[in-house]
Amino acid sequence: MSSAPVVLEARGLVKDYRRSRAVDGVDIVVHAGERVGLLGPNGAGKTTTLLMVLGVVSPDAGSVIIDGVPVAKDHRRAAASIGFAAGYLPLTDRMRVREYLTMYGQIYGLQDPRPQIAAGLERFRVEHLAEAMGTELSSGQRTLVGIVRATLHRPRLLVLDEPTASLDPDVARRVREGLSEICAEDGTAILVTSHDMSEVERLCERVIFLSKGRIVADGKPSDVAASYGHGALEDVFLELADERDASRRLEVEQTDRPA
Amino acid sequence: MNEMADINGAAGAVDGIRARAAARDDALLRGWRLSWLRMRAIATRHAYVLLRSPHRLFDVVLWPVVDVLLFGSLATFVASGHTSGSSQAAAYLIAGIVLWHVVYQSQIAVSTGVLEESWSRNMLNLMVSPISAFEYVAGVALFGLLKMAGALGLVTVGAAIFFSFDVPSLGWGLVPIFAILLFVGWAIALFVVGVVFRYGAGAEALAWGVLFVVMPLSGIFYPVTALPGFLQPLALSLPTTHAFIALRALVDGKGIEWNQLALAAVLTVVLLALSLWYVTTMIAVFRKRGYITRYS
Repeated sequence: MSSAPVVLEARGLVKDYRRSRAVDGVDIVVHAGERVGLLGPNGAGKTTTLLMVLGVVSPDAGSVIIDGVPVAKDHRRAAASIGFAAGYLPLTDRMRVREYLTMYGQIYGLQDPRPQIAAGLERFRVEHLAEAMGTELSSGQRTLVGIVRATLHRPRLLVLDEPTASLDPDVARRVREGLSEICAEDGTAILVTSHDMSEVERLCERVIFLSKGRIVADGKPSDVAASYGHGALEDVFLELADERDASRRLEVEQTDRPA
Repeated sequence: MNEMADINGAAGAVDGIRARAAARDDALLRGWRLSWLRMRAIATRHAYVLLRSPHRLFDVVLWPVVDVLLFGSLATFVASGHTSGSSQAAAYLIAGIVLWHVVYQSQIAVSTGVLEESWSRNMLNLMVSPISAFEYVAGVALFGLLKMAGALGLVTVGAAIFFSFDVPSLGWGLVPIFAILLFVGWAIALFVVGVVFRYGAGAEALAWGVLFVVMPLSGIFYPVTALPGFLQPLALSLPTTHAFIALRALVDGKGIEWNQLALAAVLTVVLLALSLWYVTTMIAVFRKRGYITRYS
């Protein structure tokens, strides 16, 4: 049990969409400085859980508290403590990287964000991109700039959705090193989703596996893999994906069976 | 002894985290200064979009000039008929189109501002940020005011140069009419934004189309009695109708029609309240049904 302050406390999260329950009673507690991977095959409920943590999807039941602030009651104050970046989101059109970062620095309350922008670009080794247009960047460069944006205001909780998707190993290492530095310096907690299990094993000290909207494992990467009788997280992932596929086949068979 | 050192070390680390968090908070602005900073950030962002997308200048430069030429020429033709009231009708046409641009520019600036976030897939980043809907809309509206000043300047100067129609000579009575039309434009824009939240960027046609419904019903060039009878009650329920009645009174030299302006102001407040309720409800539906996944 960590003695560091609790940064994220999600209790009993439930979300139903029209045809199915996407998230079914998820509890997540993350402490300052912790690096947590939220894993699971497609459809496991990772993104919906992240979106509820971020306050852009309302839970049908349960609550999210960020740094002591309930998201449902005061989304703006809670949001000020969060940074978010996703590997799949482009930079805003028709803006240079510096302009884009300035806009978000100001939205997060930095009157003059220039020092934070310079430090962030340097940390992730992309200073040379400051005057580039967002549309000129490669997907890896966009991801790095997105993470710089998400960390300008030194958030308590950094939420990353697929940050290393489509990155080459060198850029992925830069992301890992930069994030680890931020955690160590500021006590920022990280909640990250990824399909790259080896990246998660390198970055995170704790992983949470979701399957069919529920938490099925929570612990150190090596302990979680061992609890499933495997040596690596990727094998746990594949086992859960197989279970999901078998469950879907069964549902289809039951639906197709004549009454 | 070692355990004690560990405990002291852990407590020191936690204190360090708390101290850094406090220092971090001190660097951030709060209150109205923060809101103003956010509004400026959004206005600046849209200024970049406009300056780097020359086709967007059509709304600010080309359409106002085309409108003043079209309706000014029509007014000249009508006035040349030498029939009773023809010069009056011509003046209605020019004054009407100039003031209609207040509604058009204020509406289009806010609704296309929000659509821009959808087109550039910026919606998710903005919605997870601490900016409020009010601060965002106010930022877009602030930039819209600058665009509108440019567009109105063009139509006013165009009317004076091409058709010798001096809009400012209508007097101070233009000020409350301008204010009412500005708020009506924003109210319509909030309704469009609500539809975009509910139905996605596919509803973008409404951003331009909705004014083509409001325009003829508002009697901007003619009295409401010129409309088909069954449409007249609907027309009279619009604040724009009463604002343009007041405008025609100014054109006729009858002075300020306070009754019409008061009615227009009350209807504007009602329209704004309805639009605010609608957009707030649609944002709640957006969060409830997880429509953000359209942008992720």
